Amino acid sequence: MNNKVLEIENLRIQYVTDDGTVEAVNGINICIDKGKTLGLVGETGAGKTTTALSILRLIPHPPGKVVSGFIKLEGLNIMDLSEKEMEKIRGGEVSMIFQDPMTALNPVICVGDQIAEAIHIHQNVTQEQARQKAKEMLEMVGIPGARMEEYPHQFSGGMKQRVIIAIALSCSPKLLIADEPTTALDVTIQAQVLELMKELKEKFQMSMLMITHDLGVVAEVCDEVAIMYAGRIVEQGTLIEIFTNTKHPYTQGLFHSIPNIDDRKAKLIPIKGLMSDPYNLPKGCSFCNRCNYAMTICETQKPEKIEISDTHFVACHLYKDNLDFQLRQ
Amino acid sequence: MGEKLLEVKNLKKYFHTPKGLLHAVDDVSFSIEQGKTLGLVGESGCGKSTTGRVILRLLEATDGDIYYKGQKIRDLNSNEMRNLRKEIQIIFQDPFSSLDPRMTVSEIIEEPIRLHKLITNKNERFERVLELMELVGLSERLINTYPHELDGGRRQRIGIARALSLNTKFIVCDEPVSALDVSIQAQILNLMKELQAQLGLTYIFITHDLSVVNHFSDDIAVMYLGKIIEKASAEELFNNPIHPYTKALLSAIPRPTIDKKVKKIILKGEITSPINPECNCRFANRCNFTEEICKMKEPSLEEVISNHFVRCHLFKG
Repeated sequence: MNNKVLEIENLRIQYVTDDGTVEAVNGINICIDKGKTLGLVGETGAGKTTTALSILRLIPHPPGKVVSGFIKLEGLNIMDLSEKEMEKIRGGEVSMIFQDPMTALNPVICVGDQIAEAIHIHQNVTQEQARQKAKEMLEMVGIPGARMEEYPHQFSGGMKQRVIIAIALSCSPKLLIADEPTTALDVTIQAQVLELMKELKEKFQMSMLMITHDLGVVAEVCDEVAIMYAGRIVEQGTLIEIFTNTKHPYTQGLFHSIPNIDDRKAKLIPIKGLMSDPYNLPKGCSFCNRCNYAMTICETQKPEKIEISDTHFVACHLYKDNLDFQLRQ
Repeated sequence: MGEKLLEVKNLKKYFHTPKGLLHAVDDVSFSIEQGKTLGLVGESGCGKSTTGRVILRLLEATDGDIYYKGQKIRDLNSNEMRNLRKEIQIIFQDPFSSLDPRMTVSEIIEEPIRLHKLITNKNERFERVLELMELVGLSERLINTYPHELDGGRRQRIGIARALSLNTKFIVCDEPVSALDVSIQAQILNLMKELQAQLGLTYIFITHDLSVVNHFSDDIAVMYLGKIIEKASAEELFNNPIHPYTKALLSAIPRPTIDKKVKKIILKGEITSPINPECNCRFANRCNFTEEICKMKEPSLEEVISNHFVRCHLFKG
């Protein structure tokens, strides 16, 4: 039984610019099962959003180009689809929630019509039915149906994000891509929105790709985690494996960089240096210039994927000959 | 007890808007001792940045007093104020828009020294710029680069160097790390802590990120719609939050652990409008414990436990 909603294999994406070629995504493999949530974690420029956009084939071309690899939605390779067929998938089978609720809505169309638009395009219903469904969706995300005729500027940030969630879920997608859905929101509102997303995910048995830089958000909503650095997945595993059996020095560095709210005396251990220039990635491991464990081999050779368990793997030379290697605490 | 470096008493800042009077900062009082950090926490629109700016007189207060080393700041004329600015500085949130894109790194750092005629000799000034760059961890080779060539972390270091370029004693840090990635954020926080120890600086640290403020501050004041609703030492506030809003705020932080799950308090609704607020508890419509009195009367800030102040009808000293 194939239960995989999304499969990405060996995906490579480049941006070709006048200044050179940026290798934004360098051969990543992702797989999400039905009803599961994968967290894609990384810093600015790691290639998270590029990966997400490629699933909807929204990479701006030029300068962006998928060089190799394939993306399958429920076994269907979307690389072979025509633009018309793709339009059916966008907002239908796969929806996306963007980071900034302030700019994702059309300011001159009332929110009810914006939700109804998605329903009308993807489902075989009349305008009237679409509007009725839009009202239900709005109520489902906790906004009174009577506010359908209002415009985005009349809503606060958290409410706008709810409207966007309503649009994204209006056609019961199989996969929801959430690109930093709560980063622009205040903490108390973030808690409301995350709670709502978890609830709705259960209700619709949806799979989710959660893109975030916040390990706190990951701990709350994800089943599996992939840590991305400079276009590669450096560590991947279940939530428990990543949090309790951290393997990659970069993952550890991320954990050490977060102020511990329960222990205010703990000193922050930042990751030294900066992310490598994406125009000019090192020949070996992209992280080696910032890594406290770097060895000579790291400078010259790209690390291979090493399996720690069936679900947990790490791309790091430290574990090549010694699977039990322990990072210093 | 250390000496009070800054004291704010009943500070108010109202803005006139077409819809009415916006109470951005409404009767805020606090004091900071020399060498300490006060964390000012709250959600967007609670008036924390406005408070910071009013203290520096980047905005004129509507009412209230600000004392810096016992001196009433609001009574100073522009010349005296200019003199004082050598000691009180600000670091802005967005290192992308707070630096002049047409100036090089050295020009940006040098500008305050030149304007205040602190060092008139050009060579000495250049030496001082190099010294400051070293202090904040900027490598010397970047001296002639422009801000757009640098990443957010380095730009924020320029902002810090510039704030330190005079005889700085006191800095208002307005969300200095929120625009940065976590790994860079930790670098900047550590740098700011080291500088504080080294130079004896006093900070007001404005942020919405409670984990950062806990790590960084000695005392914390939580703001809601222009009012301070709870104030205590960082340790006390995190171990024993009293106000329902503070409790909800603390529980809402997503924690990067999987074993210790904190029960979340989900608040209803959102922050109400600060325009012409009614005379009741401003948190009443979102609070899970609202009683009749909350809708009738505004609570006052009471000392519930020693040095722990709370503005809530449910808790009286």
